[in-house]
Amino acid sequence: MIETFGVQLRKELAELWHTRKLVIVVVVLVGLGLMSPVLAKITPDLLESLGEDQMEGIIITIPEPSQKDAIDQLVKNISQFGLLLAVLMSFGAIVGERERGQAGLMLAHPLPREVFVLAKFAAQAIMFGAGLALGALGGYIYTAILFDAPPVGRYLALFGLIYVWLLCLIALSLLASTLGRSMASAGGLAFVLIVVLLLAGSFTNLAPGALLEWGRTVAIQAGGPARWGALAVSVAVAALAVGASCAILRRQEIE
Amino acid sequence: MTGAIEIRNLTKRFGTVTALAGFDLSVPRGSIFGFLGPNGAGKTTTLRIMAGLARATSGSVVIEGVEVGRGARPPIGYLPDTPGFYGWMTAREFLAYIARLHKLTNPPIDAALERVGLADANKKRVGGFSRGMKQRLGLAQALLPQPRVLLLDEPVSALDPAGRKAMLDIMDDLRGEMTVFFSTHILNDAERICDEIGIINQGRLVVQAQRADLLARFARPVFEIELVPDEIPQLAALAERLEATGLVERTALDGARLRVTARDLDRARREVLPMLAGLAVVRFEMLGATLEDIFLNLTDPANSQPEVTP
Repeated sequence: MIETFGVQLRKELAELWHTRKLVIVVVVLVGLGLMSPVLAKITPDLLESLGEDQMEGIIITIPEPSQKDAIDQLVKNISQFGLLLAVLMSFGAIVGERERGQAGLMLAHPLPREVFVLAKFAAQAIMFGAGLALGALGGYIYTAILFDAPPVGRYLALFGLIYVWLLCLIALSLLASTLGRSMASAGGLAFVLIVVLLLAGSFTNLAPGALLEWGRTVAIQAGGPARWGALAVSVAVAALAVGASCAILRRQEIE
Repeated sequence: MTGAIEIRNLTKRFGTVTALAGFDLSVPRGSIFGFLGPNGAGKTTTLRIMAGLARATSGSVVIEGVEVGRGARPPIGYLPDTPGFYGWMTAREFLAYIARLHKLTNPPIDAALERVGLADANKKRVGGFSRGMKQRLGLAQALLPQPRVLLLDEPVSALDPAGRKAMLDIMDDLRGEMTVFFSTHILNDAERICDEIGIINQGRLVVQAQRADLLARFARPVFEIELVPDEIPQLAALAERLEATGLVERTALDGARLRVTARDLDRARREVLPMLAGLAVVRFEMLGATLEDIFLNLTDPANSQPEVTP
């Protein structure tokens, strides 16, 4: 089983490379890591230049940007673009192979369906892990150049929590991909699951979304409450979603 | 002695629709078995169950002593009707991937590509393959683990004549090497290479027999009459006259050719030829019964008593 998993994971990673998905994810996440401190740095200058032209007589006092603004900007960007990226990259992973007839060809070989799902999740996890690691590195360097260097451990903790949040989104998208009968229905279902997840964040601090706020407060040393409950829920949701995908695919009839 | 494939009371329902109505089938080891039936008869459903991609509602499929869907994987190679490949892989990369899944230590990739005529295209991306090349690669991936039973779902239906011939030649070469079970609705293909034939209609097996036996058992004298093209109206009139005599079971007009299936051979021999007097006959020939005749006869809805020969 482990040997087969290795074979399948290698195929999935090669596919992410050949279909340019790996490059897209890395470029976007590195871009977010680099852009966030830059945006934090230049936003006051932009507003100031805008004020000179259009807001005559109005005086706006803009505080000097800091490392905290860079991290705020990063969390805001990743919560939007990271979410979109995670869903777009994974909602078609299983339903797409079923629609194209690839699953029908491959699952007649000695390829357990659980391995089929787990390898897809693992490949996505590696791709986003690599993208986030490079994004974190770029973001750290730019933040250090433009402001002060954030504490390494706290900065890594922020990215660790972002990673868990993204894994949760990927797992839910894969579940939608397993349940969906077509790319459109899988996409719609993934959208619904993610909306439910985001709405849950409005009602409870146990929702995975709380990880981003926790990471932010850790990174800027704001001293907010730890969200261990949200971490446990996120890991559980991801594990349950992947487990459910395996169980559902095992029962499904493949066209 | 049991066959390579033993199907018992195979039933498949999709909600209220019965796709397979519970049939038995035994496929002799080493044979090329043609599984025939019109569209929607249940051929693909049967093959998907045999390949482990779908579950039977009831009944069993045992392939080389291994029951499908009970844990162990039977020694099969499978080619679906529309195989989907990873377009970014080359043919060689795809077969190497299949070999790794089967844990083959020295996979005969070159031999497999050579066998299906893709040796020259082994480094070309599959995304750029023609339909025929994809079908041949599909056959190569099914053959690579050297299965004892090869399951092919409509392997030639979508191919042009050249591609179909190439594919059938490869399948013909497998005779005796392994059991080949393939579905088709192209009767000429089955007639050309099959040792044994099963015909399925509306989820029921209506006949199973050796091809030669089937042709002999269902042999009906068929005449073909061809007139010059100007006399097509006269040919249509002749068809009507023949049907009126009760001599014939069926007539089929195709341009200037009329195919006549006689009910009584001796009577037909004596009485049909004189009826052609005065017509510009190009050809009058007595044909043997074809699989097409048998197939149409057995799958005709008017045939309420299908013959089942296990």
